[in-house]
Amino acid sequence: MKKCIVFLLAALMAIIPLAASAEVSLTMGSWRADDVQQMNNLLALYKEKTGVEIVFQPIDPPQYNTILRQYLEGGIGPDLMYARSYAPGRENYNAGYFFDCSDIPGLKDNFTPSSLEPWQNADGTMFAVPFAAVSHSVYYNQNLFDEHNLAVPATWEEFIAVCEALKAAGITPLANGIADNWDILEVAFLNMLPNYVGGAAERALYESGEKPLNDEAFVMAYTDFASLAPFLDPGFSAITYNDSQVMFATERAAMFMDGSWTCGTYDDVYFEWSVFAVPAREGSETRICFHPDMAITMNNATEHPEEAQAFLAWLCSVEGATEASKVLPAGFFPMINAAITIDEPHANAILALNEGKQTDARFVWPVYLDLYTPMLEQLNALLKGETTPQAAADFVNSLVQPASAQ
Amino acid sequence: MKDSMYPKEKRRSSLRMQNLHLPSHILLIIWSFIALFPIWILFVNSFKTRFTIYDNPFWLPAKWNVGNYTAVLGNNDFLGYFKNSFMAVSSSIVLVLLLGSLAAYALAHWRGRASTAIYFTLIAGMMLPIRIASIRLLELVKAMGLLNTIGSLIPVYTAMGIPIAIFVLTEFVRQVPGELTEAGLIDGAGRFHIFIRIMLPLLRPAMATVAIYNLIPFWNDLWFPLIFINKENAKTLLLGVTRLFGQYQTDWSKVLAVLALSALPVITLYVLLSKQFIKGMTAGAVKG
Amino acid sequence: MLLIPKKRRSIPALYPGAPYWLRYILPALLVYLLFMAWPLLDSVRLSFYTGNAANRSFTGFSNYVRLFAGGEVTDRYWGAFGQTWYFFAIHMLVQNVLGLLFAAMLSNATLRGRQVYQTIIFLPTTLAILVTGYLWKLILNPLWTRDVLTGAGLGALVYPWLGEASTALTAVSLVSCWQWVGIPTVMFVAAMGNVPGDLLEAASIEGANTWHQFRHIKLPIIMPVVGIVTILTFVNNFNAFDAVFAMTGPNGPPNYKTDLIGTLFYRVGMAGQHPVAIPDTGLGAAIATVTFFMLCCGVIPTLKRTQTKE
Repeated sequence: MKKCIVFLLAALMAIIPLAASAEVSLTMGSWRADDVQQMNNLLALYKEKTGVEIVFQPIDPPQYNTILRQYLEGGIGPDLMYARSYAPGRENYNAGYFFDCSDIPGLKDNFTPSSLEPWQNADGTMFAVPFAAVSHSVYYNQNLFDEHNLAVPATWEEFIAVCEALKAAGITPLANGIADNWDILEVAFLNMLPNYVGGAAERALYESGEKPLNDEAFVMAYTDFASLAPFLDPGFSAITYNDSQVMFATERAAMFMDGSWTCGTYDDVYFEWSVFAVPAREGSETRICFHPDMAITMNNATEHPEEAQAFLAWLCSVEGATEASKVLPAGFFPMINAAITIDEPHANAILALNEGKQTDARFVWPVYLDLYTPMLEQLNALLKGETTPQAAADFVNSLVQPASAQ
Repeated sequence: MKDSMYPKEKRRSSLRMQNLHLPSHILLIIWSFIALFPIWILFVNSFKTRFTIYDNPFWLPAKWNVGNYTAVLGNNDFLGYFKNSFMAVSSSIVLVLLLGSLAAYALAHWRGRASTAIYFTLIAGMMLPIRIASIRLLELVKAMGLLNTIGSLIPVYTAMGIPIAIFVLTEFVRQVPGELTEAGLIDGAGRFHIFIRIMLPLLRPAMATVAIYNLIPFWNDLWFPLIFINKENAKTLLLGVTRLFGQYQTDWSKVLAVLALSALPVITLYVLLSKQFIKGMTAGAVKG
Repeated sequence: MLLIPKKRRSIPALYPGAPYWLRYILPALLVYLLFMAWPLLDSVRLSFYTGNAANRSFTGFSNYVRLFAGGEVTDRYWGAFGQTWYFFAIHMLVQNVLGLLFAAMLSNATLRGRQVYQTIIFLPTTLAILVTGYLWKLILNPLWTRDVLTGAGLGALVYPWLGEASTALTAVSLVSCWQWVGIPTVMFVAAMGNVPGDLLEAASIEGANTWHQFRHIKLPIIMPVVGIVTILTFVNNFNAFDAVFAMTGPNGPPNYKTDLIGTLFYRVGMAGQHPVAIPDTGLGAAIATVTFFMLCCGVIPTLKRTQTKE
């Protein structure tokens, strides 16, 4: 009997929620589960300055959009949160969850229009404040390159030759895989695509319907993409994004087409590595996929709107952005329109690739996000040899809504 | 012929029997190997490092590394997740036992059409796919202000556990000799008194069965925490593990240490109480 | 026991009726109705609505029309539907047949080490599928095991089992069978424990071999448990989510070939499709409702049959 009472008491204690602490404490949702340490440092710094505590609560990245939406609908969203660019973020604004950030001090002055655009609504209002961009490139193992007398390729043809040489030497050339169903599109194909279809100005022609998504450029992009299949691990269909990182880090693959956000992952590897831009075919211009990735916004339902807005304003100030860029993990580049120097050499090397080159966001993000999944499925099929580049291009183009083709 | 064979066979039976069982032993040993293999993989590789995990993945580490475990245990979140899981599961089980035994006591003694109807309504829950109701449950839990607390899990788990509790406990109460209750009633004790003083002590073994039956699905549930809980300090162990997956994603040895630590309590409890566990698992379907 | 009804009549005041007993039942019944029965039935109602909790409007059967009228959702649904049946079939064929086989061996009183075997067979069941799924994913990962398997002359086993459309679903199903085989095993062992020992002894004296004993004595006695195991497998498989979530992900890759009704429901009703991730609760509820009725059609007749047999 006594035991029963003890159990009952324990049950009651479990049900009664712990009393909330008096201090102001905000929560921040994020998809950057890797950055717990760095963000905690940044937020500790902010607390030191202002006394406002912000608790970083990341969610497993592939689940972020889903879970965030559930929490927002359930009324338990975090006070501050990362906002995806373009449609995925805008949806949450239209549903009334994201704050209208247009009047955050510094936002309109300290960012260029092209930095603002990814988080801008049709009417010009802003649903988040830009925080960081990421850049795409090819990571390569310098030791393996030296060992086999390989030079950094300047053209797509040279790139394929490097792949062939590595393969002949018994090394898997590329670490990429398709098991996670996002990375092959985002870090490989969309990484390559600006070399074929052009930068932001040309993207607009596809978006307005002036150019079809199965034109010569697209078919060529799909063709070159498909030609990578033999240079992946033979088990690529079961290789996840994490597996790819592990492959590169453990020297099981010599190169990895990826985004800049990973560059901190390889701090403790036993080899030298660097990056190069995915090269364009001979005679074409090499361009870079530089993607506006992270912005931060406030939950409209927050209980601490003043504190949350103050934090957003801090991020929009040159001082705040500079502090943030110092603490942020390597490979996230500040978007503020100010000269901020980056100390980390690898991240600097990635950013240096952009110099003198055209850049653009990931092709499907601004308008064609509905094509994300179909395009991804075509890429999987291409690598498995189940379709042809022309058929893949035709299929994706067939899904373009006539309305947007006017 | 048969008569002359029989005594001889009996004498040699033990040895012959084991020979006869040879195919069974072979098959069961092979399966035991398959059943234990992943658990072996889990423990040996959790003592390797991010880079040595490739060296002979199926065998012991060349150099034992406990760093993964100290890193995970040094992570305050992990202990917090553990505590949350423990609280959610133990309170749900206490509630299941309490509500279940009260109802079972009544359903066993009150005979009538309504009683039968209630009984079948309740035990039908053993077959009901509660996850299908998730959309509604999410809104319900939100309306009750329980979202983001482990309190959101307790009523749902309790509802999930009640059917099996009623099924097992009602059966058990029926088996208690009627004379015991009769004697108490004639002595003037109230029904509730009899429940507390006579029934509950007698029901202890059956309650243990119910508790154990519910322990595994509650402890291992990921679905409801995934949709009800966001706040870091209210996460259950498995939900927390999915978060640590992200944090340690490129370090498989650390992920394995997280998994090993999350599995250890259940494995230990199981090995200590395996007979009770197995009895609990069969109680739902077979009266033993 | 026979005496009790007589006594019952003799002291009626001691046998209270419904109002009294309901006090004991009500707490359990309320929790059960509020958190299980009502949400389930109300999900049926939600399937006739569109929008989220904040603004919901009645749309009649349009969710069902979308589900069955053709187009992508319909393809996904029928794909998941067929795959769930396949998943179920593998469980019946592998998990339950193995369970029966193990039980037949373990219920043999003269077999040494029965308890140890049974404990080991049941061990995986106690682990979360998140844990076992990750482990099998690692073991089946060609990247990780290529060297050791090739070295052991088992190079043929190096294959992206979870990445190829032709093998992924079978691999996930088999891992799930591996995990849950303990449940049918212990249930069948318990059921076979009810087989009278002298019956078996008599049979073996009569010269019946093990197979005959199993076929003609044990099997008929455990038939009701076979029914219950079938129902449990059916209900669990049509709600299965964790195995796929842990091993290939909620999208059911490759190319939706490991998508089950459970994961489709999660994606449509709870999560929304990556990268936009807006759940469609009405459509999700429609999927849930169809599944619910399908389960009822399968379960209720079987339940009735096994209950009346008692």
